[in-house]
Amino acid sequence: MDDSSNVKFRLNNSELWGGLIGLGLGIFVIRSGLKLKLGTINDPGSGYVLFYTGILMCVFAATIIVAALTEGGPTFGSRWQNARWTKPAIVIACLIVFAFALDTFGFLLSSIPLTLLLMRLIDPVRWEIAIPVSIIVPAGMWWLLKRALGIQLPSGMFEIG
Amino acid sequence: MFQRSRMKIALAAIGMLVSAAAGAQDYPTKPITLIVPWPAGGSTDLTMRAIAESASKVLGQPIAVDNKAGGSGTVGPATMAASAKPDGYTIAQMPITVFRLPLMQEVSWDPSKDFSYIIHLTGYTFGVTTSAEGPFKKWQDVVDFAKANPGKVTYATPGAGTSLHIGMEQIAAMAGIKLTQVPFKGGAETNAAVLGQHTMLQADSTGWRPLVDAGKLRLLMVWTGARSPNYKDVPTLKELGYPMVYDSPFGIAGPKGMDPKIVAKLHDAFKKALDDPAVIATLAKYDMVPNYKDTEDYKKFVTEVTNSERKVIETLGLAKKN
Amino acid sequence: MDTLINVAHGFGVALAPINLLYCFIGVFIGTLVGVLPGIGPISAMSLLLPVTLSGTPESGIIMMAGIYYGSMYGGSTTSILVNIPGEAASVVTCIDGHQMAKQGRAGPALGISAFGSFIAGTFALVALMLVAPKLASVAIAFGPAEYFSLMVLGLVVLTFLTQGSMAKALLMACIGVVLGLIGLDSITAQPRMTFGRMELIDGIGLVPVVMGLFGVAEVLLNTEQVIRRDIINARITQLLPSKEDWKASAGPMGRGTILGFFLGILPGGGAVVASFASYALEKRLSKTPERFGNGAIEGVAGPEAANNAAAGGAFIPLMTLGIPPNVVMALLLGAFVIHGLQPGPLMITQNPGLFWGIVASMYIGNLMLLVLNLPMIGMWVQLLKLPYNILFPLIILFTIIGVYCSSNNVFDVHVMIAFGVIGYFMRKLGYEPAPLVLAFVLGPMLENNLRKSLILSQGDLTTFVTRPISAVCLLFAVVLLIGPLLPALRKKRELVALDEGA
Repeated sequence: MDDSSNVKFRLNNSELWGGLIGLGLGIFVIRSGLKLKLGTINDPGSGYVLFYTGILMCVFAATIIVAALTEGGPTFGSRWQNARWTKPAIVIACLIVFAFALDTFGFLLSSIPLTLLLMRLIDPVRWEIAIPVSIIVPAGMWWLLKRALGIQLPSGMFEIG
Repeated sequence: MFQRSRMKIALAAIGMLVSAAAGAQDYPTKPITLIVPWPAGGSTDLTMRAIAESASKVLGQPIAVDNKAGGSGTVGPATMAASAKPDGYTIAQMPITVFRLPLMQEVSWDPSKDFSYIIHLTGYTFGVTTSAEGPFKKWQDVVDFAKANPGKVTYATPGAGTSLHIGMEQIAAMAGIKLTQVPFKGGAETNAAVLGQHTMLQADSTGWRPLVDAGKLRLLMVWTGARSPNYKDVPTLKELGYPMVYDSPFGIAGPKGMDPKIVAKLHDAFKKALDDPAVIATLAKYDMVPNYKDTEDYKKFVTEVTNSERKVIETLGLAKKN
Repeated sequence: MDTLINVAHGFGVALAPINLLYCFIGVFIGTLVGVLPGIGPISAMSLLLPVTLSGTPESGIIMMAGIYYGSMYGGSTTSILVNIPGEAASVVTCIDGHQMAKQGRAGPALGISAFGSFIAGTFALVALMLVAPKLASVAIAFGPAEYFSLMVLGLVVLTFLTQGSMAKALLMACIGVVLGLIGLDSITAQPRMTFGRMELIDGIGLVPVVMGLFGVAEVLLNTEQVIRRDIINARITQLLPSKEDWKASAGPMGRGTILGFFLGILPGGGAVVASFASYALEKRLSKTPERFGNGAIEGVAGPEAANNAAAGGAFIPLMTLGIPPNVVMALLLGAFVIHGLQPGPLMITQNPGLFWGIVASMYIGNLMLLVLNLPMIGMWVQLLKLPYNILFPLIILFTIIGVYCSSNNVFDVHVMIAFGVIGYFMRKLGYEPAPLVLAFVLGPMLENNLRKSLILSQGDLTTFVTRPISAVCLLFAVVLLIGPLLPALRKKRELVALDEGA
């Protein structure tokens, strides 16, 4: 590993941030456990296991942080080296928009555009294939589920589907 | 922008109106989910499945049973009250703990406000069993042992705050003994616990029947008013000197704000189911007696139960501290 | 001798044309729902429960049982092909199965899991016939303390699922436990970590978590690279496992079968623990543990055999005690009761035709499944030839449909998308999802049983070491944990780590 991608006391040390997030979550879990009451050892309460799991989380996260500071870790840049980071970003954006659209517009009106967008944006599929596939597959699945298994996919505010 | 968002709201409103109007008339147009807050395979689950099966024939749509166990049978109704739409497609069995737990601790629901009560159906036969290989031959043996070893007698219940828990604590108080409750999730688990002698006793509804019949478990007492026709030599609570009857009657309800027309449709379907010979046979198998109350009577009953439960909980010192 | 007569009688029942037909319908539907991620045997069986009422009890129950073990066959298909486990028990199949598919060995992976399932299923049935009544006691020998120790053992196993840093795997496991505890406490009915959100009162579903962390995250990772499909295509040479594959898989299959059968008897979580434990065992026994995680066929054969044998073992507590060990078995119990039968200690003697008929039909059903599944391997492999830019959007579409169908809830789709994004970043930073999923499944059982055993022992912690079964489980756990610290074994782990770094 070359030196430029392995750093110790730097803000772009990805290992360090992983550990810090873990530590933060651990502290949060400990607090939730305390709030839910630990109970006694004869009759452990709702927060008993949460509290101790939180302590373990902090221990493990601390180990990761110590290792990141003493041995160093790869930078964020090196983790994404040679990767087309824009592609996953686009897919994530599409999925988030879809998540909001699903309830409002229903399954058909949101999944057909999603499939079409993904086909064109990841690595463009030719239109004459992308359009039929993105209509036939969601519509076909919707029909199959409704008719054969009696499962109703969300129909949205326009009651389509 | 403003224009467009108003349009959206208007469209949504129209859509909702249309669907609501169509909802009550054509109801049901899709499968109905019946939440049973006990694990699959217990006596409640199996009888509710039989009742649902019969009612679905009347309604013309399948009723899918969804087992959401936990919290002494309150997780299911609480989830429904919190998240289901009052469109009649999600209903739940209402165990008595839904009324009792709010008296004992902070909970997320209010039994007098959060539900649309539909119909009251039946109640249980409860009993206390012990492993046939265990030392207890009759209830007096348990009392004697517990007097000599306070707190050492453990009993499995289908959850804290269930009638089984409250009932056992009342019995213990009257007998002057101390028993330790271990809450499980339902009949299948308590059966295994007492069979494997992990707990000394099991207090549960009639899910123990095949095991008692096979001689693996010994039935020490039943909590009904009269002796069970299936177990003529097993004494009732009253005969043992505890003047109580526990049968935890239950019915079904939906989330608050259900259309009365939909409630009526469900009520009629489930009432017919109670007359179905197949349902009566299944109920009889678990020593359960139909206990029909219509929507109005059920609502009154909820208030009565809450009041009587409050007294018991307060005398046992289990009431929630404000 | 009695057994033989009974078996013959059973086959008489099972071979009746109408029962054969029901058996076929059952395994066919089972294969279908197993392949579709999210739509598990539970939803299919609840929907079809009313249908079984029209026939005789035998036919109805034969069909329901067919759906159950049929879905166990299909479950591994999506794990291998597209890294989406259909259920918790096939999470572990993803690890090496999908790697094999990436190397163009999807055919052998699917083949070995079909044969492994068949062999394990058959063994489980023979065992069911011979020893069912005797093994009933195993199911009830496990009380809260024993379950707690078994869950601890199960969690220790996860240290073998990881190739990277142990601290990261353990942190993931803790997060899994916490995620599993979200929702109403099953003992006190208090809401925990729900942030006032109504949807969280019921807890987070396993299906959206698994599909997000595996399916969606996998697609996100793959979109980063321009994939040269032609390389994979050219490498698909064989559809069935070769002689070497068989040689490598025979041992894992045998061990997986026995492990799965015994753990399957235990109510709750048996099949999941069995599949993970089998993987850990094979990795531990292997001379080349560094191959695990990079497409080792042993890592597919063992766990697949284990989870099918567990499906057979699960019938024992139901048939002999009337205690259903999982939700699917409980539905089957429902089918019995609706037909007026009560499984329990008396059923085998009172209704021998029914009991032996069902067992015999499961044997025939297993054979049908093998015949049904082998020709489909070719078809599945063809699916991989679909250009990735068409395949990825469709995978996402199917995970969405699967998640929605598993709960009828849009919130779960949101959960899946969230876990997809989290899973992507986790993997970029070297955190693996398998330990999280295992802990997510076992965590709530661990908590519940710990609290119950402490109530039972009145706060006495020695209960876990004075009870023999519990002590043995903990002993195994300690051996597994200490083992890697011994110098001879340490070398192996370093090899793995080096391999990862390369």
